[in-house]
Amino acid sequence: MIGLAIDSVLALGIVWMALQTVRSDSLFQAMLMFIVFGLLMSLAWARLHAPDLALAEAAIGAGITGALLLVTWRRLQVHGPDDSNGPRLMTRWLALPIACASALLVIIIGWTALQLPAVPGTAGELTLQRLEDIGVSNPVTGVLLGFRAYDTLMEMAVLLAAWLGARAVATEFRPGVLPGPAHAEVPLVGALLSLVVPISILVAVYLLQAGGSAPGGAFQGGAVLAAGGVLLCLTGRLEAAAQASALERVGVILGLAVFSLTGLIVMATGGPMLALPGVWAIYLVETALLLSIALTLVLLFAAAPGLRRAP
Amino acid sequence: MNPTAVIYVLTAAAIFGIGLYGLLVSRQILRQLLTINLMGGGIFLLLITLGGGAEGPPDPVPQAMVLTGIVIAVSATAFALALLLRWQELSGSSEVDGDAVTDAVTDALDDDE
Repeated sequence: MIGLAIDSVLALGIVWMALQTVRSDSLFQAMLMFIVFGLLMSLAWARLHAPDLALAEAAIGAGITGALLLVTWRRLQVHGPDDSNGPRLMTRWLALPIACASALLVIIIGWTALQLPAVPGTAGELTLQRLEDIGVSNPVTGVLLGFRAYDTLMEMAVLLAAWLGARAVATEFRPGVLPGPAHAEVPLVGALLSLVVPISILVAVYLLQAGGSAPGGAFQGGAVLAAGGVLLCLTGRLEAAAQASALERVGVILGLAVFSLTGLIVMATGGPMLALPGVWAIYLVETALLLSIALTLVLLFAAAPGLRRAP
Repeated sequence: MNPTAVIYVLTAAAIFGIGLYGLLVSRQILRQLLTINLMGGGIFLLLITLGGGAEGPPDPVPQAMVLTGIVIAVSATAFALALLLRWQELSGSSEVDGDAVTDAVTDALDDDE
């Protein structure tokens, strides 16, 4: 009963935040509401017994997406005319009926699917039965790297494509794209960074290591590590460089390269492609994925080909 | 029927509807990106609720799919934000305007030649 009350309050909070994201007069406020929406969603994932998703939503959905949105908003303001005073919402008479009809469609789909009797022998059940074969006890990690490795490989390809696309459309290099490090010289910033950045590395490695048997994994860990990098950019410790260093070039493709190579070597020795031959291979691939994800996300945040230490 | 599942299906529907409404009426591109992400959140919530999240640990396959979806969403958003910055450079505006789109693209192509 108390659980149902918590779920109801949480659901109301989520819907309210979504409504505020759309309705807020100021764009800045809308983005903040969206970030809070992400945090409430991560609570909903926890309530729905999906702690892996809760971690991913908090780190990626709310954290990194929020940072990307806010920094882009700032860049738009610095580099362009301020058109935040015009009318924000258009009047479209069909919008409300279309939105209501689509919401109704979601309800009908959900309602119908909930009525269906449980089907035995689904992919998820088979995964749980055969989890021991691949040597990890977290079923989500098992699916991501054992049973549906193609998805994860393509996911890395999408992240790489997003970064390449972002580089391709940003034609000229503007060194001032990072917001000014307004507080870089405050003495406490250095002390804070020397505390927070090592912790973000520690948490990232922990999430990676725990991912085999507990909630966690390369994506959550990568996002936490990227958060440390974003902090270094914001405080002026890292700054945009006009050229990517060789290390950065390797880092961006490391995940995709290691994953593909491992998969191909397995195929060359007679196994099915991408069938990772043991727990060590899973951790090897996950480590490469983590490094690539973190680096790509920080580079996307910096909107620069590369990064270097600020003088 | 599990009442928790009903609550989250209704929430998913509400978020999706609100997101779609926002997408249709928003002028600013940044705001449209927020609303697309809201719609995505609604679909993710529906998938996990239908995967049995209300009763116990949900089916691992939809969980992995949603995890992939969250990463794809941030990738697509990051790319869209880069496009938005470029769009503002070309058109001088961060809002949607059909005619302005055509003009700016035509100008950019002319410049390249």
